[in-house]
Amino acid sequence: MQGLLRLSRAIDAVNFRIGKVLSWLILVVVIVSATNATVRKLFDTSSNAWLELQWVLFGAIFLLCSPWTLLSNEHIRIDIVNNLMPKRWRDGIDVFGHTFFLLPLTIVMIVTSVPFFIRSFAINEQSMNAGGLPQWPAKSLVVIGFFLLFWQGISELIKRVAVMRGLIPDPYTASAAHSAAEAEAERILAVAKTDDQ
Amino acid sequence: MEAILIHYMAPIMFASLVVFLLLGYPVAFSLAANGLIFALIGIEFGLFRPDFLQALPERIYGIMNNDVLLAIPFFTFMGLILERSGMAEDLLDTIGQLFGTVRGGLAYAVVFVGALLAATTGVVAASVISMGLISLPIMLRYGYDRRLAAGVIAASGTLAQIIPPSLVLIVMADQLGRSVGDMYEGAFLPGLMLGGLYAGYVLLATVLFPKFAPGLPAKAIGYREDDGRRGLTSLAVLFVVSSAVAVYAMRDSTTHGADYVVFVMFIGIVFAFCAAVINWLCGRLLGLRFLSRLAQQVTFVMVPPLFLIFLVLGTIFIGLATPTEGGAMGASGALVLALIKRRLTWDLVRQAAEATAKLSSFVVFILIGARVFSLTFYGVDGHRWVEDLLISLPGGTVGFLAFVNVFIFFLAFFLDFFEIAFIVIPLLGPAAERLGIDLIWFGVVLGVNMQTSFMHPPFGFALFYLRSVAPREPYVDRVSGMRTEPVTTGQIYWGAIPFVLIQCIAVALVIAFPALVMHYKGAGARIDPSKIQIDIPPPEIPPPLDLGEPPKIQ
Repeated sequence: MQGLLRLSRAIDAVNFRIGKVLSWLILVVVIVSATNATVRKLFDTSSNAWLELQWVLFGAIFLLCSPWTLLSNEHIRIDIVNNLMPKRWRDGIDVFGHTFFLLPLTIVMIVTSVPFFIRSFAINEQSMNAGGLPQWPAKSLVVIGFFLLFWQGISELIKRVAVMRGLIPDPYTASAAHSAAEAEAERILAVAKTDDQ
Repeated sequence: MEAILIHYMAPIMFASLVVFLLLGYPVAFSLAANGLIFALIGIEFGLFRPDFLQALPERIYGIMNNDVLLAIPFFTFMGLILERSGMAEDLLDTIGQLFGTVRGGLAYAVVFVGALLAATTGVVAASVISMGLISLPIMLRYGYDRRLAAGVIAASGTLAQIIPPSLVLIVMADQLGRSVGDMYEGAFLPGLMLGGLYAGYVLLATVLFPKFAPGLPAKAIGYREDDGRRGLTSLAVLFVVSSAVAVYAMRDSTTHGADYVVFVMFIGIVFAFCAAVINWLCGRLLGLRFLSRLAQQVTFVMVPPLFLIFLVLGTIFIGLATPTEGGAMGASGALVLALIKRRLTWDLVRQAAEATAKLSSFVVFILIGARVFSLTFYGVDGHRWVEDLLISLPGGTVGFLAFVNVFIFFLAFFLDFFEIAFIVIPLLGPAAERLGIDLIWFGVVLGVNMQTSFMHPPFGFALFYLRSVAPREPYVDRVSGMRTEPVTTGQIYWGAIPFVLIQCIAVALVIAFPALVMHYKGAGARIDPSKIQIDIPPPEIPPPLDLGEPPKIQ
């Protein structure tokens, strides 16, 4: 089990880094998109490559940050019934969900998207739009995203089993969305306090 | 047995979806897993070809390809940056001073600022938390009824859901296959109407129970002239002059409707802002001022949000920008504003970017889950089953609307709007279209209805946000030095209930007066030809459209 927990920590560290770094792409997309819009209006010209870059970057953000979102337990749950259950049941549901929902999904997605990517890569598939970007890098994001998500699923499964055996403290506090709201309130409070001084 | 299973595949799939979702495992993956399991069953029974699932990567690629969804991170990022740039604080502080002495004045200020913030950000959390932090303590200090105070703050925060640019309208437009710009134009008046209804409720409360919302004592009001006058006349004069200048400047313009309002507003803001700057410079250099302190302050705090509204909504309404471009411009504008206010730090941008990345990820993954689900569900003709079920409801269009609204109202107790929008709306859309209902109007009705998902006790998110910032323990007020009792959770819940009722009234009003929404079709539009062939003419058919009425901004 200790070996598995080490594996889980390694996966967490990698996906945490990837998420943190890639979230900066949001700023990049904002700048690219605002520039595209301004250029289109002022000079009445636009570049398909730059327009396509917008959604490729966004695709990279939501696909590659999703393992990190899972790690922080921020994928939305409907926790109305769940919250009434004893903690052991909830842990059991997570183990069940990781094993029978998440992992099979990621495996199916990897198995289907690898040929999807290879077909595109083999012919160096280009954009339908003149002057657009090649398509295969964007398609590779699907493979990479679900590959990372598969490993994050493994890590979550290991951690949940370890929690149930009492080997590690529960990494999730309260229910996810609510704790996110509380964290948000604390951040705003912190800003408000520095303003008072 | 097998034949029965195949025949009832769609209902069985739907029922098992409900069970899967209620387990409390992340929605995105439960949805997708449900789709996969039934796809395997379908392949086993020979309903689908073995390579059925090969279509999945293409579906995800289609989601990536969708430019409209890009607006989600843009508006989220914009909202998060604005939230921390102190715009809400400045507005609440100044507008509170402006309305303060009127009975219920702080409550009106909350509704007004809530609507203004809603028109700039579209993020509920930001508005509720800011107002809970700033306005609630002042309201408690001067003896506002706790239920009224809590309710008005939570409800005004949820205006961000329905007043454009809101995330829910983007998702709704995408799911109903309509343009986001049209959805924005259609939702604008109903959004303002809701603000009006909230203010009406405050008025009613102050008339019936004057003690619920006392006016502030005059000594609690700041921004006075040296001789103690408040300087309201000066503000009124500035407002009238700016409007007159703007209308005069536009006298030769050929624009009309929304475009005209947008331009007039823009010129008026620029003029008022210049006047306030000159006034400030004169005061600094010569010691002479021609505007009162209040007028100058109000102008300075109103300009940033109004400018952003122009930059984002104005450009979308007049067709200068797509919603995605408007979002990008708005996000850049928010960064610039934060920079001017010297609140822009790397840390702030990092936090906002990280929160946006996670939100985008979970939202889009629900959509991915919904697509995996719908691949199978549509494969077994589930959409047709739902559509026939809905169309066969008694009462035709009216019965359909009544059923759908009651259904969504109850779903909103349990689900939040992303789940409703991605799972339920795509199933309702085709039936609505077959009944000849305008989908923009339908979307706005459901949007107003879904706003209640934020206010329903005990799970409404706005209530939860407010709970997290409202005092839980008795505390000593900083200004009055009096011991103040905490706000109980029960008071927050009771405070929200009247606003849930107002929401129901608003749904009824939008259904009764489709013109509130239908003006989005603009000048020259005629009734959709598809509507003429309805057997039972529904009362909701839009009357020949009002062409003159522009959406009012501000």
